[in-house]
Amino acid sequence: MKKMHIILLVAIAVVIAGLLTWMKDLSTYDTVSSARRKDGRFVHLIARLDKTQPVVYDPVKDPNYLAFHALDSVGGRTKVVYRNAKPVDLERSERIVMKGRMQGEVFECSEIVLKCPSKYKEGEGAGMKGLEGETPVPASATSGS
Amino acid sequence: MRYEGEHLLIGQLGHFFAVLSLVASLAALYAYARAASLVASPLAAGWRRIGRIAFITDAVSVLLVFVSLYLIIYNHWFEYRYAHQHSKRSLDVQYLLSCFWEGQEGSFMLWSFWNAVLGLVVMRSARTWEAPVMAVMALAQVFLASFLVGIYFFDLRVGSSPFVLMRNEFPDAPIFRDPQYLYKYLVDGNGLNILLQNYWMVIHPPVLFLGFSSTLVPFAYAVAGLWTREHRSWTDHALPWSLFSAGILGLGIMMGAAWAYESLTFGGYWAWDPVENASMVPWLLLVAGIHTMLVFRSTGHSLPATYLFIPAAHILVLYSTFLTRTGVLGDTSVHAFTGEGSTLYGHLLLMIGVFTLLPLGFYVSRRREVPVIRQEEQMSSREFWMFVGSLLFFVSAVYIITLTSLPFFNRLFGSRWAIGEDVEFVYNRVMVLVAFVIALLTAVTQYLRYRSTPRRQALPRLLWPTVAALAAGLAVSMSGILRYERYGPAFQAGIHIALWASVYAVLANLHYIGSALRWRMKAAGASLAHAGFGLMLVGILVSSSGKELVSRNRTGIAVPGLKDARGKDENPLENVTLLHRAPMPMGRYVATYLGDSTDPKGDRVHFNILFTRQDSATGETVDSFLVTPNAFLVKGEEGTQLSSNPGSKHYLHRDVFVYITSWLNPDNIRDTSSFRLQPARSGDTAFYSGGYVTIDRVIAANRHDNEDLPVVDSAWLAQLTVHASDGRTFGAEPAFLVKDGLPAVKTDTVWEQSLVLTLQRSPLGRIELGLRESNAVTRYITLKAYLFPYINLLWVGTVLMVVGFLVSAGYRIRSRLRSVRTDAAG
Repeated sequence: MKKMHIILLVAIAVVIAGLLTWMKDLSTYDTVSSARRKDGRFVHLIARLDKTQPVVYDPVKDPNYLAFHALDSVGGRTKVVYRNAKPVDLERSERIVMKGRMQGEVFECSEIVLKCPSKYKEGEGAGMKGLEGETPVPASATSGS
Repeated sequence: MRYEGEHLLIGQLGHFFAVLSLVASLAALYAYARAASLVASPLAAGWRRIGRIAFITDAVSVLLVFVSLYLIIYNHWFEYRYAHQHSKRSLDVQYLLSCFWEGQEGSFMLWSFWNAVLGLVVMRSARTWEAPVMAVMALAQVFLASFLVGIYFFDLRVGSSPFVLMRNEFPDAPIFRDPQYLYKYLVDGNGLNILLQNYWMVIHPPVLFLGFSSTLVPFAYAVAGLWTREHRSWTDHALPWSLFSAGILGLGIMMGAAWAYESLTFGGYWAWDPVENASMVPWLLLVAGIHTMLVFRSTGHSLPATYLFIPAAHILVLYSTFLTRTGVLGDTSVHAFTGEGSTLYGHLLLMIGVFTLLPLGFYVSRRREVPVIRQEEQMSSREFWMFVGSLLFFVSAVYIITLTSLPFFNRLFGSRWAIGEDVEFVYNRVMVLVAFVIALLTAVTQYLRYRSTPRRQALPRLLWPTVAALAAGLAVSMSGILRYERYGPAFQAGIHIALWASVYAVLANLHYIGSALRWRMKAAGASLAHAGFGLMLVGILVSSSGKELVSRNRTGIAVPGLKDARGKDENPLENVTLLHRAPMPMGRYVATYLGDSTDPKGDRVHFNILFTRQDSATGETVDSFLVTPNAFLVKGEEGTQLSSNPGSKHYLHRDVFVYITSWLNPDNIRDTSSFRLQPARSGDTAFYSGGYVTIDRVIAANRHDNEDLPVVDSAWLAQLTVHASDGRTFGAEPAFLVKDGLPAVKTDTVWEQSLVLTLQRSPLGRIELGLRESNAVTRYITLKAYLFPYINLLWVGTVLMVVGFLVSAGYRIRSRLRSVRTDAAG
């Protein structure tokens, strides 16, 4: 067998080993109820902010404590605690991807990715202000996320 | 209905040239393909001439499309959707170009523009290769033009035009029943994403797209080589082009990293985000291809690998566009690429398919002719280790792109998998070993000879750099700067050996320039690039593993029992709140929030934070500097939100990096405590818990007796002096206005005393001064602060590497031209 073949085999073995260890660490996208069933396991929870409940964040008391309630697409609700600063667009977001684990009744979240209504969608979809209502207003400022 | 104030001609011209560029590139494709297939026939010259005219027409059209759109954006013609969505009147002129790359159409236009420019260069320089290479370039232009035409073939819309009008896109909107809609409603645009309002964002996308676009040229030469069965001489041209491309693409990627570092708030320059990975993978393949090409040119080995790596680099550029533009990445990327490009899905897949099948089809049909050397490479030869390095780059590319494609696999197979808890470590644990091996090969391989190296030759020449690298590496390791214990001793050891190898790569290559090349810098491109690459690795390893959280919160409520998967403390509390003017110890510094100021435009706040460091023994201040992070104010229904831009203090050997995570904006104070009122008369005094307030003067004015008061009906203003019990005094001027019959209050706040002052009119018409003391007016900011040691090594290394690539490309071009002249003379 040629040296090059050995090297190729080693390279392939390394890739497979790398991918296998990676598979072991894979997590899943979950709803509130399926995350509850995996209590303590690291999951990605997709939900949105429950606006009927208060958002607790008081930086003077503790800048690393944010608590709010999340509501997923099938109606599951949970309290979420995020020990970090409040993401600025939290209230504006239409969807929240939270990475963390369910600890009893509370979702302990280590990372939040917000999906905000984007201006592209605003333009293409039906929700564009000023182009719908009877008394249009100039389009408001938008923000990036 | 006739609408007033529209500028329709420019859009019609723009759209005409977009369609013309499609037609012209189709003509160029056909003519050049005919010329290529007719090779020796006298007709070939005629077809080639037609191809040239068509391609030049395409290039001019693309330029005019670009100019048309720029005029629309520059003149704020908001009847066009592109201008309305991506620009607004108050946007600074230098950011107008950024509007191009915010949208999908502008990005494709930029890409097409660079392809056209490069195509013209290829047309002039390719000589005998012109026809087949330009045919491939024209094919790329056909696809890019088709993304911009936005015309219907039956029910299928092909591409999307940047010249569509708002009123055609939203025909049912009521504002378009008014012929004056432009003056009344669409007076301003939506504006540019504030993250793009950064100088890096003006230059990073053009450079990156030039990098993307330039991968097409080596691709085209590889296809042409297979097509014409000239399996060797295509590399004469492809080599300098690949070097140019790798240099520019590398520069573009690192400019993106610099932008992320300076204006994003994930606290670093690289986060293994899918968008970053997707642009790095083509670079890895290109570099692998350059090395196998060099091996092939010197020894005849590795041609099949070159035919794999070089086309794959461009295909991966297309694939990365697919990942980032079609919304496939969805929830995994911090970059907001939404469903904007979902119409692109099939269109881009078709392009990827064509560009994959083209080289693959040729290769399969010509596989028996591709020259392969049966004899094995020697272990002591340069080509053997170059190939091993290239293979490792390829393997890394496969690893990274497989992980990055997970959301795409989910979409294909309906699964719901996601990368686990620690995304960065998934990459880092593999890449630290890759870095070690690659750095070692980078250091040693140049000292080997092609075919085989006599043992007595290489070792003595490597002696000095090896000793020096061991000493320097040991010094760095012992210095304790690489304190990165989070993942245990194995990973830490990986960091150390990778660092040693990287230092070795730098020193060995610098030594090579001196000892083997005798400082002939024109020929030193490769060594320079290698030394720069080594320096980048050093910078990455040191700045990442020595990254220090300055704002570690020791006062917050730490929750016991919160552990990560490895049983370590989860998520150190990273945010610290600074009260106004109250010094706060923070790591090795003491930080004080001095105050803030608002931009003249009123949409951005700058925060002044003073950092001081004292010598622990003497108590003397040894270091003192001001950091001014800023934040855009984004007004929304839920009050004003912040969009933060970091501020940093650059030293040669470290950066202190700060950004605001929360701020008490006076606009958002919703305090329930009420004002204590008393009549406001000049000379009166009011008391509060921290002192007293004197009313120096009350000024009353109304429209009838004061012509300088055009906007309000009447106004009252009180000039106050606040005397604190500690002897300090502050001025304040609350006011009460009546405008259009409605009252309005302008409160004034003395932050230092937590005192809010207001002026009101009682139901009896008496003017009253209101005082309120409140905890809610405690002025504060919340911030995160990091320290990055030696990050400048990364930037210096990048510059060196890019210069090395370009020097090398120039050297190869000159040697090709020399050999052409010798051939002609001979």
